[in-house]
Amino acid sequence: MRVALYVTCLVDLMRPSVGFASLRLLEAAGCEVIVPEGQTCCGQPAWSSGNRPLAIDLAKKAIGELEGYDYVVIPSGSCAEHVRNVYPQILADDPEWGARASALAARCHELTSFLADVAKLAEMPAEFAGSVTYHDSCKGLRGLGIKRQPRELLLKVRGLKLQEMRECEECCGFGGAFSVKYGEVSTRIVDRKCDAIASAGADAVVGGDLGCLMNIEGRLRRRGDETTRVLHVAEVLAGEEES
Amino acid sequence: MATTRHSQAMFFQARAGEKVRDKVLQRALQKAKPLFSGKRGQAMVALADDGMDFETLRTACEEIRNRVLNDLDVWLALFEERAKANGAEVLWARDGDDICDLVIDVARRHGVSKVAKSKSMLSEEAHLNDALSAAGIRPVETDLGEYIIQLAGETPSHIIAPAVHKTIEQIEELFAKEHGRPIEQRTSEDIPAMTREARAVLREHFLTADMGISGANFLIAETGTASLVTNEGNGRMVTTLPKVHVVITGIEKVVPTLEDFATLMRMLPRSATGQTISNYVSLLTGTKRPGDSDGPEKTVFILVDNGRASLLGSAYQDMLRCIRCSACMNHCPVYFSLGGHAYGWVYPGPMGSVLTPLYTGIANALDLPHASTGCNQCGSVCPVKIPLPKLMHRLREDQNEMGLRPWSERLGLKAWAWVAGKPRLYRWLVRRAIGYLHWLADDKGRIQVLGMAPGWTVGRDLVAPQGKSFHEQYAARKRASK
Repeated sequence: MRVALYVTCLVDLMRPSVGFASLRLLEAAGCEVIVPEGQTCCGQPAWSSGNRPLAIDLAKKAIGELEGYDYVVIPSGSCAEHVRNVYPQILADDPEWGARASALAARCHELTSFLADVAKLAEMPAEFAGSVTYHDSCKGLRGLGIKRQPRELLLKVRGLKLQEMRECEECCGFGGAFSVKYGEVSTRIVDRKCDAIASAGADAVVGGDLGCLMNIEGRLRRRGDETTRVLHVAEVLAGEEES
Repeated sequence: MATTRHSQAMFFQARAGEKVRDKVLQRALQKAKPLFSGKRGQAMVALADDGMDFETLRTACEEIRNRVLNDLDVWLALFEERAKANGAEVLWARDGDDICDLVIDVARRHGVSKVAKSKSMLSEEAHLNDALSAAGIRPVETDLGEYIIQLAGETPSHIIAPAVHKTIEQIEELFAKEHGRPIEQRTSEDIPAMTREARAVLREHFLTADMGISGANFLIAETGTASLVTNEGNGRMVTTLPKVHVVITGIEKVVPTLEDFATLMRMLPRSATGQTISNYVSLLTGTKRPGDSDGPEKTVFILVDNGRASLLGSAYQDMLRCIRCSACMNHCPVYFSLGGHAYGWVYPGPMGSVLTPLYTGIANALDLPHASTGCNQCGSVCPVKIPLPKLMHRLREDQNEMGLRPWSERLGLKAWAWVAGKPRLYRWLVRRAIGYLHWLADDKGRIQVLGMAPGWTVGRDLVAPQGKSFHEQYAARKRASK
């Protein structure tokens, strides 16, 4: 199957290793992976700011790039949620684009749900010596119902121990522009998340959304925690890249 | 709109900062948070154990509320007719000022000098206590939380736990001062003793008040009944002891039948306090009849619009389903970082972030619809399925369409979207941005102060980008493999 990988703007800019890890996982699942050229951002920041016209422009751009594949896979619950739930909604009044948006939405999956439920990846290429605790990011969890899939996959990683934190479904306080507009409030929220992570006592906190992970890592480091690793689920599942 | 002048919602940003830094407040909130969400969670597990399904039940509740709102005039007319047939008077208030005028008029007609009040958020919308005091009528709040707030000269910070922002030490200090006794060291085990103290004071007021004012959780149209859901019993005193009982409630609170009420009651206490049913559920129908042992001689309903009717048929009609259970704020990470006062008006949390702009003007509460991470913890617990994040989002859109967003934000977004539409330029800028961020980073690869987004680094580091962008590296790999 031909799978388009949409790496997201944050992964492109901040943490390319998540993109390459996703690529390796999709290949391990037997997919022919294409990274469509020209991809930039799905438009979620415009949408969250309440700017519908800009969100529509960027949705159309992404739809044009991502059509024509068997599947589109995104290593982010929030971007996948945007493509799946918001694209059809904001283009509903346009018969042509509305149909294209719905067709894309039906083929678009967040990485772990694609690997677990569609590609049914049975063996993980990685090993992980240590314990991890999983943070359920809001849009993936409550927008797409992703909860079981990342855990199912993580438990297949040799050596990995899963150690759940309390309130793993609580928001980390990222919220996109919220984290910058209301920095102090956002910090207060992520502080509670960091407390929960600390009391879980795992070697690494793992999640499926880079925004949340940047927020959590930034706060952990500011608090002086230099040891807890903060990893994207794709990085853990795919393991270190052999160079 | 009369209520606008009381709203402090435009100061959200500044107040939020104060509240986050208020250590005493944070202690109180930290203590309350697990109580609310924990108890509701247990109640929902128990609900499933009893063979009831949360989704099925809340869909039923949503449908009842929608049925009412789609023909609100019809159900209100029926309620009015039945309530009058039971001997009650039914009055209509357009706004908060109307509420005050009507209540004062009723009080004057009956020679009232003291009013015992059960919790009513509508009276907060109207600032009724101030108006009563100005008219020479003494209002006494009898809900324990409201009593504390009234003594402290504050406003409620939560719709069902008005004093949740206060610590036991603060309340002890207040009681000692107001009840004229020395301060004692209190622990949570002393709460019953403190409650008894308040009870003794309040008992006197129940017996001497000439008028009782309460809200209503629901109005039941087919019987002309007001229902009251309480835990302290003060509601019963207020509604049955004084000779006059005034019910103030919003026009959206009507439900068609007792059967519908029973369905909603399966959700309301569970969602609010995690109780299967509250300690008291009162159904108040009409005045004292011959042979009745208690009850008011006069019952007056004041049914209030104050912005509600303007939501009917609008993109925000779903908000009128709200049954004021407080589950949304009890599960809101923002609410529990700030408490209710930062929101600046009567209703805090997610439901307040929708209602405050709608009832006091979109331009007067610009922050509130943005003061959400979009986590949808509120929407997923709402017992009447109000899509709160969607409504907040819709308000963000309205702000844009009304030209109410700051020019810097509009221009910034526009420029960013323009660049995102031009991949080559975008890649070039990403390369520049990575270089810049690396230049800002310290030797651990962390950025401590980010000038263009200071909000981020106020409490967090920004971990610098790994190196070259994904697309640059990917293009290089593809070239190399050819």
